[in-house]
Amino acid sequence: MSKSDKHNHDAAPMVDEISDFEVLEVAVRELCIEKGLFTQQDHNEWTEYMHTLGPLPAGRLVAKAWLDPDYKQLCIDDPVKASLEVGIDWINSMPSKFGTPSDYCNPRILVDTPTLKHVVVCTLCSCYPRPILGQSPEWYRTPNYRRRMVRWPRQVLSEFGLQLPEDVEIRVADSNQKTRYVVMPVRPDGTEGWTEDQLTEIVTRDCLIGVALPRADRKADDKRPIHKAVHPYGH
Amino acid sequence: MPNAKEMTKLGETIPLLESIGKEGRVWSDLCQQYGVENPDPPWRVTLESTCEVLNEGACALPVLERRNEEDELSEDLYKNVPHPERQLLALAHSMIKKGLFREDELSVQMEKVYKRLTSV
Repeated sequence: MSKSDKHNHDAAPMVDEISDFEVLEVAVRELCIEKGLFTQQDHNEWTEYMHTLGPLPAGRLVAKAWLDPDYKQLCIDDPVKASLEVGIDWINSMPSKFGTPSDYCNPRILVDTPTLKHVVVCTLCSCYPRPILGQSPEWYRTPNYRRRMVRWPRQVLSEFGLQLPEDVEIRVADSNQKTRYVVMPVRPDGTEGWTEDQLTEIVTRDCLIGVALPRADRKADDKRPIHKAVHPYGH
Repeated sequence: MPNAKEMTKLGETIPLLESIGKEGRVWSDLCQQYGVENPDPPWRVTLESTCEVLNEGACALPVLERRNEEDELSEDLYKNVPHPERQLLALAHSMIKKGLFREDELSVQMEKVYKRLTSV
């Protein structure tokens, strides 16, 4: 390919406007640095780390476990060690290293069966297994999801389009500062003979939170609806 | 650093932030206008980093305190602002309320930043 060929394409669309929110974000950050609350270097380290995060490692962990019973057992017994095999070091990779609420060094893998479905929530705030799953979706942070999932999990799951038979038990795992959960769903029909890479593609973020089931024909998470509580809990 | 008298209560309106919440253009609108498909604004990652480093070290704004206040503000003052814009407003609101900086300081800094980002 010649040099001119390389640039012979339309540029991707971009937002050619500075919004008040963009200015506010920069101003808050710069004031923090000016006031000595943190340094630019501290901030850069976190930003670089954040850019590395996404749901792919957790999807690969599940795919590997579907193919290898020994690895599945390792996921149950020692999730920190199992995570290392998909490139995630829960203890040492984040800038804080150890000893703060953001270390999340106690991951747990919740293994579904045909009669048991797990789903993850954080009733207190929005604790989420970011090292292995990336940033949480907007709906995960909403008080409505957090309040209602622990009270009416079957109803809330149905609002996500997940209708579970009555004989399937639902267990809701409530995350906290140190303990973060990832759901290992049941391998779906129609994936016999698939490779690890193929299986990884269908283990979406929502499957790993527990609000969806993997399907052989679905590789991305759709935008989810947010429903208001009929009788919201006052706090 | 302001004294206790200058500090504001959480639920009190902060005019600068209220104005941004009402008049600022949110990412979803900008995406629609410019045909961009990124689900998050480019500043979301740096916002998350700011929240993390404020929780680290001197623990200027602990994560649980910030999230509780964000929940409260998201259902009240900033209920009509989408995420992550309301997370940003809530963060600035909590910091002003806590006396980490003042509204007028933020306003001056925003003017400086705007001038810098729009200079040609």
